[in-house]
Amino acid sequence: MNETALKELLYKIADDQLILGHRNSEWTGFGPLLEEDIAFSSMAQDKVGQSYALYQMLQTLSEKDPDTVAFMRNSDQFHNSILVELPNGEYDFSLIRHFLYDTAEAIRFEMLSESSYQPLADISKKIRAELRYHTLHANTWVKQLGSATEESISRLQRSLDLAMPYALGMFEESPYEKELISSKIFGGEKELKDRWVKKVETIIAQTQLNLPDWKTLQPVTGGRAGKHSEYLQPLLDEMSEVFKIDPTAEW
Amino acid sequence: MYGGGNTFEGIKTDSIAQEDPIRLAEFEARIERGEKIEPTDWMPALYRKQLIRMIEQHAHSEIIGALPEGTWITRAPGFKRKISLMAKVQDEVGHGQLLYSAAETLGKTREEMIDDLISGKSKYSNIFNYPAFTWADSCFISWLVDAGAIVNQLANAKGSYGPYCRALDRICAEESFHLKYGHHCVIYLATGTQKQRDMFQEAINRWWKPMMHFFGPSDKISAHTEVLMRWKVKMSSNDDMRNQFLDMYVPKIWELGFTIPDENLKKNTETGRWEYTEPDWEEFKRVINGDGPCNKERLEVRRIAEERGRWVRQALKKAQTQYTVPLA
Amino acid sequence: MKSLDPRVNRLPVVGKPGEISPKVPLDQLGTFEVFVQPKEGKPFQHEGIVHAPDVEMAFVLAKETFTRRFTCVSLYVCDTRNVYVSPLTEATSNAYDLISEATEKSTHKTSYEIYHLLKRGKQHVHVGTVQAGSPQEAMAEAKKVFKNDKTVYNIWAVKTSDIRFTTDEEKDLWLTLPEKKFRDASAYKGGDKLKEFLERHNA
Repeated sequence: MNETALKELLYKIADDQLILGHRNSEWTGFGPLLEEDIAFSSMAQDKVGQSYALYQMLQTLSEKDPDTVAFMRNSDQFHNSILVELPNGEYDFSLIRHFLYDTAEAIRFEMLSESSYQPLADISKKIRAELRYHTLHANTWVKQLGSATEESISRLQRSLDLAMPYALGMFEESPYEKELISSKIFGGEKELKDRWVKKVETIIAQTQLNLPDWKTLQPVTGGRAGKHSEYLQPLLDEMSEVFKIDPTAEW
Repeated sequence: MYGGGNTFEGIKTDSIAQEDPIRLAEFEARIERGEKIEPTDWMPALYRKQLIRMIEQHAHSEIIGALPEGTWITRAPGFKRKISLMAKVQDEVGHGQLLYSAAETLGKTREEMIDDLISGKSKYSNIFNYPAFTWADSCFISWLVDAGAIVNQLANAKGSYGPYCRALDRICAEESFHLKYGHHCVIYLATGTQKQRDMFQEAINRWWKPMMHFFGPSDKISAHTEVLMRWKVKMSSNDDMRNQFLDMYVPKIWELGFTIPDENLKKNTETGRWEYTEPDWEEFKRVINGDGPCNKERLEVRRIAEERGRWVRQALKKAQTQYTVPLA
Repeated sequence: MKSLDPRVNRLPVVGKPGEISPKVPLDQLGTFEVFVQPKEGKPFQHEGIVHAPDVEMAFVLAKETFTRRFTCVSLYVCDTRNVYVSPLTEATSNAYDLISEATEKSTHKTSYEIYHLLKRGKQHVHVGTVQAGSPQEAMAEAKKVFKNDKTVYNIWAVKTSDIRFTTDEEKDLWLTLPEKKFRDASAYKGGDKLKEFLERHNA
């Protein structure tokens, strides 16, 4: 097994989950409806919890402990896609990002539940079940707001157009793509992206939203290689503000 | 997180004389037997009014109470604290949801209640008008403000109104997580570095005064509420709740080697009651009427949240959407 | 707004501070009743309401509002308007005694779910299903089938087809719920640390 390839894979998934979980938690207490505030917070907790489990797996592969990994790295050491670090914007953007991201994650963990790396296959089966709610939630909301009022449709459309190039950045290939596929650790970003496109098309077809032309879209990449937008470092500074008062202390 | 006893105002009991004496007697007999009142039961106008006021204040206290702790959501140190604090603040929002529903069964809509919160017409627990300066402040709230709320909520869960009791049973079960989580955070600060200890000591120094205000004005100066006690709306006097809180938690604070900023604080072994410097009730009154350090911010944050969500809720509304008073 | 909360500092400017526009009617949408099954084999129990625009959204919103801790294997919701409610009784009076026998005999029957309130202040619990042509008939039918020596204070009947159930594919929505220990008091044991501290402190 190519351990470097495996670690690279685990880091990018864990970093995605942590950063988006963190972003989504910013809505807790500020949501558009009490019930939705609660639902969105639960999914943020799930995401942070899933990243924690993946960092723990990395620790078994002799990486540092999850707290050090999450709270002490700088932005150029993070492998998340740029999509997840963008500010929340209004609810339309948060919702569209949630939809595009979780649709991909649900497929990703479905693929990973077949991974030749058994610990990853095991955890993926659980995460896949957890994500079932996330996609049910995202699909229901996008279908409702995507075919409701003029305002909701135009807001969602704007956010969809804005998010899409970043969403394609999720599928930025790893330098170890071939090894991951040949060793059956992960089926690869290309397969994931193809399945994702189909799923996104199916849901959007049930709304009054339009998908941009896939062929002309330029993916915003770089995140997987540690090249991020201006938004990630401030997020990390904020996240680790208390932790860094004394990183050796127990909190 | 609600400590009850929020006001000094007396209640006007004149309306009771206007009630149908037979129905009133049946109503009181039902409460006397220990049976709960359910939404479709006949009830005196004053009972309905006071319950709406109390449950609504309780609900608002949860929603506003999510804000000072929420201050630290994005900065909680370490994975465990991060997830726990998110879940804890989420619970407060959830408690608000449950309590608004209970108040709705009495005939006030959630729209009206949220409007009254944002306009300042309805009150909420005074303590949330104080700022959470450091991580340790959020730990103080999670442990001790929740502990105070539990004293009040456990008492109220034995009250007479079915929907409120059902909501409180659920809330109290969740609060046990808050209390343990809060205490856990504080134990880690107390047994940690000098810096961590100092952080929590400073939090106590800041929060003790509002904590003493939390259960409402002293019995000596608060309005008489015999009829509300008889109807099992108010279940415990403000001073009794304060005393119970001090009894349970002062020893735990001292045990961790912290001091409490009140040199008169001690338990009178003869009476079994705690003695303390009389809280400044003028300040309490001032803050509850809008002049506290954070009142403006709290209401403004809620106003913005509601405004930002307006298009979402408008878009959700369907032609067939209709409102009915919830059943239970 | 200058706040201690960085999230608040990032809030956009919306309207003018303190400028309040009251909510329009139905801003908070309609209400839906939520029923939860804690374990396989246990009956569904009423847990409360959610505000939502329709049953589908109500189902999605009910899940985390009511089943984010403890155990759950299934959940369903229905519009509050679709619950038929019997009179409420007290003391030793049985609500079934206030329900008259069915006079009409419908030919087109459909199924209704029946719920009992056995103690004031507690929840309505599902007792079973009856076939009837109308809610009134469902109540009368329930009286035949479910009335026994226990005092029932209130009966609800809901047409089965008005309920949004958990589908078979959705059963694993709660698969990882028992592992979410962070929502549980038992996950926060500080006793050892405290004891060690006290021993050190008192030495």
